[in-house]
Amino acid sequence: MSGTLAEPAAAPPRTRWELFVGFLSIGARSFGGVLPPAYDIMVEKRRWLTPADFTETIALCQLLPGPNIGNASIVLGKRWFGLGGAIVAFLGLFALPYVWVLALALLYTHWAAHPLVSAVVTGVGASGAGLFMATAVKLGQPIARKPVAVALMAGCVLAVAIGRVSPLIVMPAAVIVGMFFSWRRML
Amino acid sequence: MSIQLGLYFASLSLLTFGGLSPLIPEVQRYIVDTKGWLTPMDFMQLFAVAQAAPGPNVLIASLIGYRVAGFTGSLIALAALCLPAAALTWVVSGLWERLRNSPWRPLIQRALLPPLVGLIFAGGYVIATPHVGGLTLQAIEHQAFETVAQVAEIVQGRAPKGAVNPQHATRLAKMSSRSEA
Repeated sequence: MSGTLAEPAAAPPRTRWELFVGFLSIGARSFGGVLPPAYDIMVEKRRWLTPADFTETIALCQLLPGPNIGNASIVLGKRWFGLGGAIVAFLGLFALPYVWVLALALLYTHWAAHPLVSAVVTGVGASGAGLFMATAVKLGQPIARKPVAVALMAGCVLAVAIGRVSPLIVMPAAVIVGMFFSWRRML
Repeated sequence: MSIQLGLYFASLSLLTFGGLSPLIPEVQRYIVDTKGWLTPMDFMQLFAVAQAAPGPNVLIASLIGYRVAGFTGSLIALAALCLPAAALTWVVSGLWERLRNSPWRPLIQRALLPPLVGLIFAGGYVIATPHVGGLTLQAIEHQAFETVAQVAEIVQGRAPKGAVNPQHATRLAKMSSRSEA
């Protein structure tokens, strides 16, 4: 695995229009979750961010109120183009899902009982779960060979998925533990 | 109504850690029980649509806004829910950028990765295990019996309690004549 190699270079979007279109396509592909397309587009396709930048931004946004990727659009828009960038990125992210959710609500009231509709809803949920796992695997590559990091990660999975402890408790606690090991050079 | 709705969602904004899902019972209490703007069935249906739709789950606010006060309502509800949190993010990200050259930064970066990867795995697991976020057993029971009561009223040709636009329910009379025939 390439986890220890130098990270590929990343360059921020050159124009607000590019920023807007990027977030528009994240919104367009956000069936089943916004995080997987956000990673795919910002890190892999458009290379605006390195994986480490992405992790840091998302982690910061997770600790703040508000939708995670919505917050990320504010943070990144601000970093690259100031207030105008934050507004453009935020509007780009919400534009298409907003239209779709209203359209879906109008359709759903008429077709809710149709088996095809519930099948589609279940299918979207299932694919969303898969996409989340795939994103976690990609992001986790740099820590795959560090036993302490893997143990810390596994602890978080168990606490949140099985124990259903709020991420608001798990995340700060795990970061403090992580800081200790990172200071001891074990991460 | 749009203004009341806007003020309500704005007051929730700074509490939406991890999106709106953990606050759904509170939203239901206000919209359905306190204000009576939506029936419990309507609310459940909007919740289901928001789960299935793409995008951040805070979009359920725009659905509620739309049902309560039309397009204006949907925009106001969504903006009210997002803006205070966005303003806070704006301020905090400014502070965070200032830490860029601090010796703590690489330490924090290394510490963040394992928990974040864990949370994303857990997110996938939570999506994969069907659950109705935040609905308590009592709420489900209440809604189930309410549905039974509503169906009973419809079959008897009456508009159920809390129905929207009952004066336009022109086909209800046929229901009762059919069931008596």
